Amino acid sequence: MIKNRQILLAGVALAVGAFSLSGAAYAFNMNGVQSVTSSSGSDSGYIMVNADQTSGAQDFIQDMAKRGIDFLANPDLTLEQRKAEFKDLLQSSFDIKVIGRFTMGRYWSSTTEEQREEFQKLFETMIIDSYSRRFSDYNGQDFDVASSRSLGKSDTIVQSFITDTNGQKISVDWRVREKNGNFKVIDIIVEGVSMTTTQRSEFASIIQRGGGDVQVLIDHLKG
Amino acid sequence: MKAFRSARHSAKIIAAIGCLFLASCANNQEQIYVGDIEVDDRFEQSNRMVFAFNDTVNDTVVHPVVKGYRYAVPAPARTGVRNVLRTLRSPVNLGNQVLQGDMEGAGNVITRTIINVLIGVGGIFDVAGHEGIEYEVEDFGQTLAVWGVDHGPYLVLPLIGPSSLRDYTGYLVDGYADPLRWYLFNIEEEGIYYTKVGLDYLDLRESLIDILEELETSSVDYYAATRSIYYQRREALVEDRARGTAGNASEYSDFPEYDDY
Repeated sequence: MIKNRQILLAGVALAVGAFSLSGAAYAFNMNGVQSVTSSSGSDSGYIMVNADQTSGAQDFIQDMAKRGIDFLANPDLTLEQRKAEFKDLLQSSFDIKVIGRFTMGRYWSSTTEEQREEFQKLFETMIIDSYSRRFSDYNGQDFDVASSRSLGKSDTIVQSFITDTNGQKISVDWRVREKNGNFKVIDIIVEGVSMTTTQRSEFASIIQRGGGDVQVLIDHLKG
Repeated sequence: MKAFRSARHSAKIIAAIGCLFLASCANNQEQIYVGDIEVDDRFEQSNRMVFAFNDTVNDTVVHPVVKGYRYAVPAPARTGVRNVLRTLRSPVNLGNQVLQGDMEGAGNVITRTIINVLIGVGGIFDVAGHEGIEYEVEDFGQTLAVWGVDHGPYLVLPLIGPSSLRDYTGYLVDGYADPLRWYLFNIEEEGIYYTKVGLDYLDLRESLIDILEELETSSVDYYAATRSIYYQRREALVEDRARGTAGNASEYSDFPEYDDY
């Protein structure tokens, strides 16, 4: 019994000590230490001047999400109508051709004109199928745009959070590219995992395992 | 004589491992990149075999058990279990934060633990999380990464799944060094420790089941997709990507502006 009480007392003392320590860490603003742990480089990739582009991109994501949630949450729509609406939304807000080009990576240069056309068509079908399946799971999650910032000349990262009914928060970044005043999504990064990078890894693996022949990937997508 | 025999035995094992390395090095494959991370998958053939094995175990055992857990235990209770398990991991998270030199992170672990234990009824409720001090998982694999150690070869481990030589080493070190394990072993309550390990696994798999099932249906190369996601996710964890605050541009991979498409 005495032993237990001693342990308890020691625990409380430790906790109080630790608490004041953590308070001290805040008071002395030891945030600077954290930069040591970050292996990412300088901020040279930023361009902060382009405020119009970033706020434009942020509005664009906000509008797109609103449009999406409106019909996803609309109980009057049938599954077919929902899919059709979703396809519309995807085609108008995503630059599927640029995404497709990216996922091919360095193999793009070894494709013929016909192969490119065929690949892009198959890729679009695939993307629409898999994204509409993903988003059809929607059941009342909150969507909040948190911030946005410029990345390179024409890209903006719009940071958002999706909070599900259990209160679980998922970070979702949208990479938006501006072209002639139009905004299009070119990547979605969920908790640090990029959809297009993952896709690119898969395609590279299929092509490599097929002996470096792009046709293997196209046939795979057909089947 | 006995020592001599065991020495010969070790030599044989070393030779066998050496052969394994040589054999797989001989099967020279193209470079694999995930973003700008170079992936060393010299064991791809055997990794794919273990991956297929894990997939079968998932379908036949793990996922049915997880679904049973979801059916039997309502979501708020599962969240409570997760919060308690996370609180029990505090010593490991704290130790790694300190080893990484992340004093703000270490302070967060301490503050979270105290708030959640005292106000969150023994860690059942994540009060600190609601106040904006969010849970961060730290492991010795991340610590090694901060110290500049590379992944080494990619490994798919039975039941555990994707890992790397570095991260699996870290996993073993965390498990061994865990003060909770030392404490429970000292008071001869190994049973409690193993129950905790089992619950950790169940909780982890519950958090992964939807993602894995979705990935399996939508991917064209499930193995390559998982490998890619593993490297991206580990990178994000190592860099402690602050949630909701802008990080560095270099977090995002290069995405050229194409003219030909």
